[in-house]
Amino acid sequence: MAIDRYSYPFTAIVGQEEMKLALVLNAINPSIGGVLIRGEKGTGKSTAVRALAHLLPDQQVVDGCHFGCHPEDPEDWCADCRDRAQSGDLPVTTRRMRVVELPINASEDRVVGTIDLEAALKEGSRRFEPGVLAEANRNILYVDEVNLLDDHIVDVLLDAAAMGVNTVEREGVSVSHPSRFILVGTMNPEEGELRPQLLDRFGLCVDVEGIRDLDQRVAIVEKRSDWEDDPHKFVRDHADDEQDVRSHIAEAIATLPEVDLPREILRLIAQISIALEVDGHRSDLVCARAAQAKAAFDSAEQVKTTHVGWVAEMVFAHRVHSVPFGKGGPNLAEVIARMIGQG
Amino acid sequence: MSIALDRHVYPFTAIVGQESMKLALILNAVVPTIGGVLIRGEKGTGKSTAVRALARLLPEHNVVEGCHFGCDPDDREALCADCRSRLKAAGVLPSHQRRMRVIELPINASEDRVVGTIDIEAALRAGARRFEPGVLAEANRNILYVDEVNLLDDHLVDVLLDAAAMGVNVVEREGVSFSHPARFILIGTMNPEEGELRPQLLDRFGLCVDVEGIRDPDERVLIAERDAAFKRGDHEFVNEFAAADHNLSRALGEAIAAVKNVRISAGQARLISSICVEADVLGHRADVVIDHAARALAAYRRHISPTREDIYDAATLALAHRARQPINRDHEETSSPQSGEGQEGSKPTDTQAGEPQPSDSDAPAETTAEESSSASDGGQQSAGSDQGMTTGGSSGHESAPEATETFNLRRIDLPRQRRVRKQGGKRSASQTPDRRGRYVRAAPKAKVNDLAIDATVRAAAPMQKDRGRLPGERLKLERPDLRQKVRERKIGNLIVFVVDASASMDAEQRMAATKGAILSLLQDAYVRRDRVAVVIFKNRTAEVVLRPTSSVSLARRRLEKLSVGGTTPLTHGLMAGYKVVKTELLRDPTIRPLLVLISDGRGNISMFKEEPLVEAQKVAGMIDAEEIDALVIDSARDYSHLPSVQHLARVAPMYQTYAINACADLAERMGARYYGLYDLSRDEIASAVERELGRAR
Repeated sequence: MAIDRYSYPFTAIVGQEEMKLALVLNAINPSIGGVLIRGEKGTGKSTAVRALAHLLPDQQVVDGCHFGCHPEDPEDWCADCRDRAQSGDLPVTTRRMRVVELPINASEDRVVGTIDLEAALKEGSRRFEPGVLAEANRNILYVDEVNLLDDHIVDVLLDAAAMGVNTVEREGVSVSHPSRFILVGTMNPEEGELRPQLLDRFGLCVDVEGIRDLDQRVAIVEKRSDWEDDPHKFVRDHADDEQDVRSHIAEAIATLPEVDLPREILRLIAQISIALEVDGHRSDLVCARAAQAKAAFDSAEQVKTTHVGWVAEMVFAHRVHSVPFGKGGPNLAEVIARMIGQG
Repeated sequence: MSIALDRHVYPFTAIVGQESMKLALILNAVVPTIGGVLIRGEKGTGKSTAVRALARLLPEHNVVEGCHFGCDPDDREALCADCRSRLKAAGVLPSHQRRMRVIELPINASEDRVVGTIDIEAALRAGARRFEPGVLAEANRNILYVDEVNLLDDHLVDVLLDAAAMGVNVVEREGVSFSHPARFILIGTMNPEEGELRPQLLDRFGLCVDVEGIRDPDERVLIAERDAAFKRGDHEFVNEFAAADHNLSRALGEAIAAVKNVRISAGQARLISSICVEADVLGHRADVVIDHAARALAAYRRHISPTREDIYDAATLALAHRARQPINRDHEETSSPQSGEGQEGSKPTDTQAGEPQPSDSDAPAETTAEESSSASDGGQQSAGSDQGMTTGGSSGHESAPEATETFNLRRIDLPRQRRVRKQGGKRSASQTPDRRGRYVRAAPKAKVNDLAIDATVRAAAPMQKDRGRLPGERLKLERPDLRQKVRERKIGNLIVFVVDASASMDAEQRMAATKGAILSLLQDAYVRRDRVAVVIFKNRTAEVVLRPTSSVSLARRRLEKLSVGGTTPLTHGLMAGYKVVKTELLRDPTIRPLLVLISDGRGNISMFKEEPLVEAQKVAGMIDAEEIDALVIDSARDYSHLPSVQHLARVAPMYQTYAINACADLAERMGARYYGLYDLSRDEIASAVERELGRAR
């Protein structure tokens, strides 16, 4: 594997346990719906997201498919794979799940896909040239500074995230293709807020801060200089740790469907949602999935209150209504602690 | 175009609660002329899920074989031109049964794909100008679904309104002249947090339901359990609800067959009209919608004629977005003889067959009470928005008792108020000269620097034959073919507050109210793309305490600890505000800044060694000359007209400034609007700004 700045090992990241857990849980169960990482610059947000790529499981894809369709999931095939399947078996290849980046200055046509320029001018035919949303299918879609994204791009993301399908009716092309991705965004809240609608689409949300612990700060600097001195050796040194986590994640993915989700736990989650006065029901569903993923990661057979405790703040942090000057309104940590203690 | 992503379509009957929403969808499937439904509500309440689930329940209908528009072979009037000529030639149209479909309109669709455009391939091959159908063609006799309909671009809304009004899509573009039937059931979902719908489009929706999150823990558990079962692909779950969906689909089919025979008596028609009068609706669409919906409901509930209950249920759905006065069922029953008559007519059917859906019949009384209360709620909402610019009056009336309570935080968070205020600030998309923004359409232009390839190819295609292009050759383009992309982008306002922090009687209150107003304006910043800056002046200088930002948290932090006291360097404040505006305009000339001065207008510190008042007047003149929109909010009570003050000024020159209204004078020089608000409250400041932005546009 070629070493580049994206190769920094996940396990070499010091501290920021919440952020790492949120990312891992999404790798275990993509239907959690991604994670938003809020925090100041230089806290390892981007590094962590890119490092996650090394821990992601391998997946089967149809060879030569623009959208990386799953060979055994005919309902989710793109039109192209459907056609190809008619005339015999689809060629299959294995590849690692990827982190696809959406640059904030991306134009809409690059995001949703557009008319193939060459084909249009040469033959006057309208062929679809897939965009970022095609590439992101079954992968992680990473948006750095997601709060600075242009409005109309956000609209498109919301649409695709909601349906798992990208429908294009523009520039003379009419196409729709699968686009199920894990949305991972980072932002610095000082630069402006995120639209609530988009905020709610992120399954989890973690706030990261610079580490105040001296030993950890020193460890960060040391690791960094080790990495810069000899990245190859650094990666080799962490290879075992990485492999550990990777197989742990793979195991959790396998056992996830068997992890029992008792009714009391669902009740507890519903009560937290009600106590925190959040909008809608997405929080319940996300919390249940995240707690289940955490249980699978801990090799537990059943979801326990402690698992809910691990994930509750990430689920609710961005869903509680903020009140100017902090007056009134339920206090997140307090409510969660009370409910968990009670359950 | 619709991919059969069936594994991902949640069963309709597995949706917990939200009975009004489900009922509204079903009624539209029974009687399409009801005119669709708008589903409003907070995020994560299953709005989109329900619409997509509906697709599986829809009935089959007869369509002409091979027709792009799915014409009804039995409806000779509404045939497309193609079917008409086929009928003429053959005498009969081949047809087959097809399930009604849900066609999705993505909000970033371009106009050519929505209305249809020239068929490029036909143009290339034969140089012919043939029509290629778009989304509206597909939607004919089907459901047209727009998710986040409030985010739809204005030009698409216009197209939809046109088609919906006439049931016909008329295309005159790119050398194609064509029209075809486009009767569709419009279904939209929206989260009001993201902005309001244009009133015209709102009225197009026959029914409207407001959905809310369920607060009952047991039901929430049920939702989570079903979701988990669905995600797992649990067989029991799939079988149970596949059967339930099937039953509902059959009930739907029966209702469609029965609806022709539902009779509405004269008395019932009177009841419907009297409800509309009571609700004080505009126009007559509501009456027609209630009539249709009541028929559909009666057929669905297997009544021969609508019961009083049916009519009121229908009215609740039809009036949620139209009523300007609350309706009251119980009161109506005793006071109106007509309604009694109406009930008389339908009584015998009351005892007939039970409900097809047990969930509906379980507790009719309970749901009714709930629904009518939500209707009255909606009534007041639209009452506000309908009045447009005069909403200041109505919201003023609402908040009047609390005028002294200057810092009531809860109030402004009410969605209703937000809706009302939004009417004032009509800031939507503007066309942008740079390459940012959404590509909405294409136009020929002398100098093309942002080429619209699709439009260019379409323009060139019909000419290829004449230009001698042979098959396989590249396209022969000429300058007149080139088309430029027209882009639109939402442009927000920059609101620069210049606030007097000097020590006067009202300083503390003025500051608190201003902070409150700024934060409440920022609460909606994501909807309006607004940014706010704050300049404070006191003692000998002015300070930009908040650079232009849309961040609530940043504003909160910066504004938290602002103190008041000292003298009034008004000129400094105005100059600092003026500079902020100029800098931002340099950065982005498309923004529309608004400068808001909150002061008593009595500067007493000189900046340019002139009389402070005269200086301020000069800066005001500069602001006017630069055509910067401004607003002056006077925080001092105006005593200038009192005879005693006038007298005092005559005898003692030092009191002269009190004899003129300094603020009003400044406002006039700035070309700004003046508000005298001695009892400053955040709501009054915020709504003054909103009104100003509405006007400034």
